[in-house]
Amino acid sequence: MNFLAIVKLTIPVMMGYIPLGMAFGLLLSKLLIPWYYAFFMSVFIFAGSGQFLALTLFASQATILEIGIATFLLNLRHTFYGLSMISTFKGFSWKKHYLIFGLTDETFALLKTSDVPEENREKVYLWITFLNQCYWIIGSVVGAVLGNIVPFNYEGIEFSLTALFVVLSIELYKKNRLHKPFFVALIIGLFGMILFPPQKMLILSLCLAAFVLIVFKRSMENGK
Amino acid sequence: MESSYIIGSIIVATLATYSTRIIPFLLFRTREPSSLIKYIELNMPLMIMVILVFYALKDVKWESYPYGLAEIIGVCVAIALHVKFKNALLSIFIATLVYMVLIQKVL
Repeated sequence: MNFLAIVKLTIPVMMGYIPLGMAFGLLLSKLLIPWYYAFFMSVFIFAGSGQFLALTLFASQATILEIGIATFLLNLRHTFYGLSMISTFKGFSWKKHYLIFGLTDETFALLKTSDVPEENREKVYLWITFLNQCYWIIGSVVGAVLGNIVPFNYEGIEFSLTALFVVLSIELYKKNRLHKPFFVALIIGLFGMILFPPQKMLILSLCLAAFVLIVFKRSMENGK
Repeated sequence: MESSYIIGSIIVATLATYSTRIIPFLLFRTREPSSLIKYIELNMPLMIMVILVFYALKDVKWESYPYGLAEIIGVCVAIALHVKFKNALLSIFIATLVYMVLIQKVL
């Protein structure tokens, strides 16, 4: 897989991460926080909703402990991503720690769906993760530095991430041996979106999905 | 805002985020993954991806105008194009474009 193919794979994430990163940077500059903190937050934390949450908590002068606990709970969903990556990352060198560090919703989605030959899988995965983080950093710094100066009306471009998840759901549906989990997830997702509070929707839905998957293992594997 | 407060918060948020990502790798470091873990690894990603679609739509205001019409149309365009042409980039580009035109110019 050459570099151009890898970049092509990450374009939808770029389309989403740059404007969302800019929105984050913009909010940070509105709180009168110096722009370089946008850079450091995107380099070290690298969690979209986690960074927005941190800004919200800054604004309400939450304690550092509260920020730690809230961030942990918000990002707890990432545990499920790691759980699905254990065998994939097995045998990778120490560099896999960067892969684990960079396991965002979107990076997980790309890694799990891209067909990469085994021999250069680690390298390709590292590039995907690194490129995605670069887009996020660029977006957040540009947003923090330029503030309100925006060259064109890009409102709605973050829908590319929604479309990315839709497309990758179809890809995984075609790849997966079992199809029942797909329909169960459709019901849980719809149910969760309507009934769960937005902040906790993802982690609650994922827990429910894992619960159903495990408890009804036999009937999931029955038929197709 | 004091810089020590911001720096301290960044460090804590960094550790909190990284720990959510590393937990499963620490838990299953030594022993071979059981058949249950393998079953979860095989099937959970599909469920996660479907739920992420709904997660991405969680802030849509369905009860007031335009009733999430742009999102519904955008998702339908992405599904239709992808089923027909199987080109991820094309499906995502067109669906996003349709969505942007809808929310900026139409609805």
